[in-house]
Amino acid sequence: MGSRGKRGMANPNPDPVNRLRGARLLLIVGMIPVVVVVVGGLGSTILQSIGLMPLVGPVRLSVDAYVSTAPALLSSIGTSLWIAAASTAVAIVLGATTAFVVVSGGRLGRIVGAIGAVTVSVPHLIGAATMGLLLADSGVLPRLLGIDATAWPALVAGPWWVAVIAEYAWKESAFIALVVAGTLLTRVAQFDEPAAMLGASRGARLRMVFLPLAAPALIVSATIVFIYTLGSYEVAWLLGRTYPEPLAVMAIRLFNDVSLSSRTESAAIAVLTVAISLAAVAVAAVAMRRSAVWR
Amino acid sequence: MLAVLLIVWFALPLVPLALWAFADRWSFPSAIPTVWGVDGLDAAIAAGGPAASGRSFLLGLTVALIATPIGALAARGLVAGWAPLPKILPVLLFAPVAIPPFAAVLGTNVLLLRAHVPPMLGLVVVLVAAAVPYTTFMLRTAYAAHDVGFEEEARTLGASAGQVLWRVHLPLMAPALARAAFLAFLVGWSDYLVTLIVGGGQFVTLPMITASLAAGIGNDSVVAVLSLTAVLPPLILLVLLARTGSHRRP
Repeated sequence: MGSRGKRGMANPNPDPVNRLRGARLLLIVGMIPVVVVVVGGLGSTILQSIGLMPLVGPVRLSVDAYVSTAPALLSSIGTSLWIAAASTAVAIVLGATTAFVVVSGGRLGRIVGAIGAVTVSVPHLIGAATMGLLLADSGVLPRLLGIDATAWPALVAGPWWVAVIAEYAWKESAFIALVVAGTLLTRVAQFDEPAAMLGASRGARLRMVFLPLAAPALIVSATIVFIYTLGSYEVAWLLGRTYPEPLAVMAIRLFNDVSLSSRTESAAIAVLTVAISLAAVAVAAVAMRRSAVWR
Repeated sequence: MLAVLLIVWFALPLVPLALWAFADRWSFPSAIPTVWGVDGLDAAIAAGGPAASGRSFLLGLTVALIATPIGALAARGLVAGWAPLPKILPVLLFAPVAIPPFAAVLGTNVLLLRAHVPPMLGLVVVLVAAAVPYTTFMLRTAYAAHDVGFEEEARTLGASAGQVLWRVHLPLMAPALARAAFLAFLVGWSDYLVTLIVGGGQFVTLPMITASLAAGIGNDSVVAVLSLTAVLPPLILLVLLARTGSHRRP
């Protein structure tokens, strides 16, 4: 089983242990890109941030990069946490609602499922471009609503990062819906139909059947969304304001900066962002353990 | 009612693309373009849109062709229990989605530069790592539901390992493999940051020219045309996928 070698061609029943060894070897080779990025990339980011892997100059252990970025870093962390939390919250509510509508079936449910799948396949950068065309003060939405540009709130590059959050919430609600509906399509019907037959209302079925069954998929997909939006670059860069900078925008700006110390500062921001992400994973793991209704 | 609101939520952001793509002029208060035309299309071609689309497609295809077999091996190894390091492997496999992309990219870039890895190879390595969690996740569910009985039967009847792979395993797994490949394709097709940083600016893709035009002012119609170009190929693949999926179902 699982053999991808040609050894079996001549002999119909080769030694299964040998075939497994081949598959195992292939898998180890296939893991090389992941190891390079996860172990190598993360490792070198940490080493750079503490001065052990300088671009030029002497190797010297120091936490200077963390200290020198600290003042700007606090507002950056706040900004990124706001964007990630708001986007994730909206995406959870709309994503779960979408999944509920899709799982409930019907013609409209199928249309919602289809247009959600289209949304998932739109690149984030393209989503950012079209959100800008929609929400800018001379955008399509104020035109359609007949609101003057001066009366339109600053959604793009404004103080609350509305256009950035709207783009993430739009794309990620579709992603959450896809994951949740995918894991539920078969499972919900066995409980939902009897519940409906026994006279449970739509609201009761949502609370007592759909949400408990959806919880694990919802937690996993929401965690992925939170981490993605916390560290995503292009949407905040295109639709956000220049100050305060989200973590990714600040890190990439410093990375491309000409000054020599900026590379280590960029790495320090990356390490802190990874730490926040891992904390989010830990919270999700606890929530997961509490919510597992089937197993 | 709820369904209609959701349709509006998902469709509304795509409306500007359809309108702006064919607007030569669209003075502000007007609700629809004032002059229709294909100036945006001409500008998109002049900006190198076709070649950039080709590069994006090639990148998506390359990532799909590498990340799908890796995901299949990992998924099957985990489901069947022969995967090495069964405790560590899943953590490693799914780590790329637990790490913010820019953090992984910055470190990997420095590492690859020091190791003198060519930028194009580095680009593919990083994108494959980003795609493997998705292909593995998709295929793990599929392999968990996969009945190895068909393959064992074929072996008992004298089929070789190669025959079993090509004539039993792959046809049975084709729909799930196609869905996994689609996700991996999207990783390459959609990417902006990895191409920018690891690719070193040599490999200009569709998101890259769209980004540089979208960051400027007055490029609305060319941005809309390029964005539509970025939306359509995945849409076509999605339709094809839905069709093969329904054909395979008995």
